[in-house]
Amino acid sequence: MSEGASRRGFFRDLGKAVASTRDALAPDAQPEPPAPPPPYGGLSDAEVERYARQLVLPEWGAAAQAALSEADVLVVGAGALAAPVASYLVGAGVGRLGILDPDVVEVSNLHRQTLHFTPDLGVPKAESAAAKLRFLNPDVVVEPYQVRLEEDNAAALIEGQDVVVDCSDSFATRYAVNAACCAARVRLVEAGVLGLQGMVMSIKPGRTACYRCAFPAAPVDAPSCADAGVLGPAAGVVGSLQALEAMKLLTGVAPALTDGFLQVDLASAGFLRVHASRRADCPDCGKL
Amino acid sequence: MTWVRTKLALEALRPGDVLDVRCRPGEALENVPRSAREAGHAVSVEGTTIRIVRA
Repeated sequence: MSEGASRRGFFRDLGKAVASTRDALAPDAQPEPPAPPPPYGGLSDAEVERYARQLVLPEWGAAAQAALSEADVLVVGAGALAAPVASYLVGAGVGRLGILDPDVVEVSNLHRQTLHFTPDLGVPKAESAAAKLRFLNPDVVVEPYQVRLEEDNAAALIEGQDVVVDCSDSFATRYAVNAACCAARVRLVEAGVLGLQGMVMSIKPGRTACYRCAFPAAPVDAPSCADAGVLGPAAGVVGSLQALEAMKLLTGVAPALTDGFLQVDLASAGFLRVHASRRADCPDCGKL
Repeated sequence: MTWVRTKLALEALRPGDVLDVRCRPGEALENVPRSAREAGHAVSVEGTTIRIVRA
């Protein structure tokens, strides 16, 4: 995690600065006795209450909560997949969430992009999403970026992230994200949705198959959501799976869906796990 | 909420350590022992005190 971006780190540093100033102004003053550590695995009462329904899970606990709260996550895109991804991660208490999207909210987004409302039309999507996410959980640092991730800025945007969640809607962006995450060895959750179908894949660069290992080239003449359409709940299901994968990668509470992808057909309610292997000739991860 | 706090306190203990939880009479006095047993811990209840030996 990049320490400077963490809210906890910010307040910790702020506390040190205040103490230093106080000592300089009143060198004879008695320091206050240190506050006792919060009970319950370092969680405050407010945190125990907010996260009670996940803390009570056998698979979860104080260690998983701490891992999540120390994590920096970047969500690429602020659309249909990003809505459940960002909502669940912020709701669950991730430390810092960056969300980037170059576009503004359009009326045709609203049936599936559930972080944007009608009064948000014309507002940058990243800002619109960030505003809702801050209401959802004020303890999480949410950073919006109105920018398009491309090959030439991907490395800078991805640097320092613990996990990147790719919620973009273009193959060009997906390959750029994959290449940058592989180069920086940043874990990645890829996904796509169209119509009533989708896919999800977790990637640990250098250890498991990457997106390009599984899909060496973009399909020719692949239709877009604008052309082929998409149902909101289909994006909701796939985005929810993506959020869960990110939480698995960050906390280790369950094995992530690596070395393959989950193919989701919501017309037949079918879930198929497809195996993929690392490729020695993969231009993105073959040399790692 | 009592079980959540109890679970987090147990996570900080070592196997074999003992945790005494004092509850007011009511729902928690029923729920906490049941949840603790389901989680695999040894539990005894005396009055309003629940004694849990961490698994």
